Amino acid sequence: MVRLFSHFQSSVGKKMVIALTGLGLVAYVVFHMLGNLQLFEGPQALNKYAAFLRDIPILLWTVRIGLLSLVVVHIGLAIQLSMRNRRARSVEYTIHRYRQASIASRTMTISGIVLLVFVGFHLLHLTAGVIDLGFSERLDSEGHRDVYGKVVHAFQNPFIVIIYLAGQLGLGLHLSHAISSSLQTMGLERAALNRLLQGLGVAIGLLVVLGNIAIILGVFLGIVH
Amino acid sequence: MKFTLKIWRQNGPHERGQFVTYEANEVSPGMSFLEMLDGVNQRLLTQGEEPVAFEQDCREGICGSCSLVINGIPHGPDQGITTCQLYMRRFSDGARITIEPWRARAFPILKDLVVDRSALDRIMQAGGYISVNTGGAVDGNVLLIGKDQAETAMDAASCIGCGACVAACKNASAMLFVAAKVSHLATLPQGRPERASRVSAMLEAMDREGFGTCGNQSECEAVCPKSIPVRFIANLNREYLRAGIVESGLPSESQSPYAESS
Repeated sequence: MVRLFSHFQSSVGKKMVIALTGLGLVAYVVFHMLGNLQLFEGPQALNKYAAFLRDIPILLWTVRIGLLSLVVVHIGLAIQLSMRNRRARSVEYTIHRYRQASIASRTMTISGIVLLVFVGFHLLHLTAGVIDLGFSERLDSEGHRDVYGKVVHAFQNPFIVIIYLAGQLGLGLHLSHAISSSLQTMGLERAALNRLLQGLGVAIGLLVVLGNIAIILGVFLGIVH
Repeated sequence: MKFTLKIWRQNGPHERGQFVTYEANEVSPGMSFLEMLDGVNQRLLTQGEEPVAFEQDCREGICGSCSLVINGIPHGPDQGITTCQLYMRRFSDGARITIEPWRARAFPILKDLVVDRSALDRIMQAGGYISVNTGGAVDGNVLLIGKDQAETAMDAASCIGCGACVAACKNASAMLFVAAKVSHLATLPQGRPERASRVSAMLEAMDREGFGTCGNQSECEAVCPKSIPVRFIANLNREYLRAGIVESGLPSESQSPYAESS
């Protein structure tokens, strides 16, 4: 085990840890988006689902601590490698032209920071309820916390909608490079499957972002009220 | 044809460098990029000035010596060629051309456009070989190798070690170089016995030299004069994962396959 740990101390090993923690977080955002789509089924479905998630404290806190540690490891190692990368080219080119690098791959740091700031805001806003002080949480007719009402109230505010849409832009940009890149880092590659593996990253990213935007705009445009 | 050249001049490794502008006149479209530079140097010599130092050797795209970043792209605007295979007809008459050396901390500038690429040699010394005891040459076709395997190994082995991958990478990473060397040897039976220790040692050496890490942008693939694909980087990662599992399970690796039979 010690050997295995020391083996992955190299820059490639660290990249693999970044890839794996990232893929773990991708799995979470997919799950998060699919669960929240229950907004379209009405207040009862969403509130019941929210109550179910919070029902077992040990499960809730295991997931929360798990996610937090994934985020800390992912960002910590990314900062470490970025600093290494910066040192690797101490003098910049006067002219530097990209030949085939995607916009997403060039902006991973920026999209990552946008995402981190957005997640912070999102947690304070909808999880902790600190930001939107004008809204007091009620219980619905079945005695569950009225998450549905909270979400609907939030996305009727155009400022909140703009912040959330910007967050989705960061998420989509980050994921469209991150997923395929992680697969490549983990050595998943077959000549016949290359197109599929590359498309998969963009497809999953798009799916998550479109699902989330459907929720945000669904409320804002008055489809859900 | 006429060109205005903006060339990086630097007297020594620890000196400050700067761009100096030169005119290249009477250039024929059939001249290679290096022949055009020869012309400039010829004129500088007759004027009693120091000629521009640049590295070159075979001038037929196989030695990996030439190393110029031309208008921001290593080996110039065309794909799958080295600087010496680039012809002046590729540029429009009167164009302004910026010429810079490879820029990476692991490749310190020696003079003008010449950089020290011995970091790549040290990576090779760490594991880019197979251990064979000396003796009579092995008979041909003793080891039968399938066509697909031979083709893959050859694709990787076509790396000439010019370092354009490092020059093009925004992180100055040498992953494509290491990937080509590791994949070449790990694909063939002769390289199999040492594959686990090789990949670990070469990646360790790569880190030691101060190269950056791979961001999977595939810029290296685009400028590689031998068009080595980035799928070899995935293969390198796979080899590394495999080595991690093998090495942590076995007490000692890296025993020479031929040690017992001698």
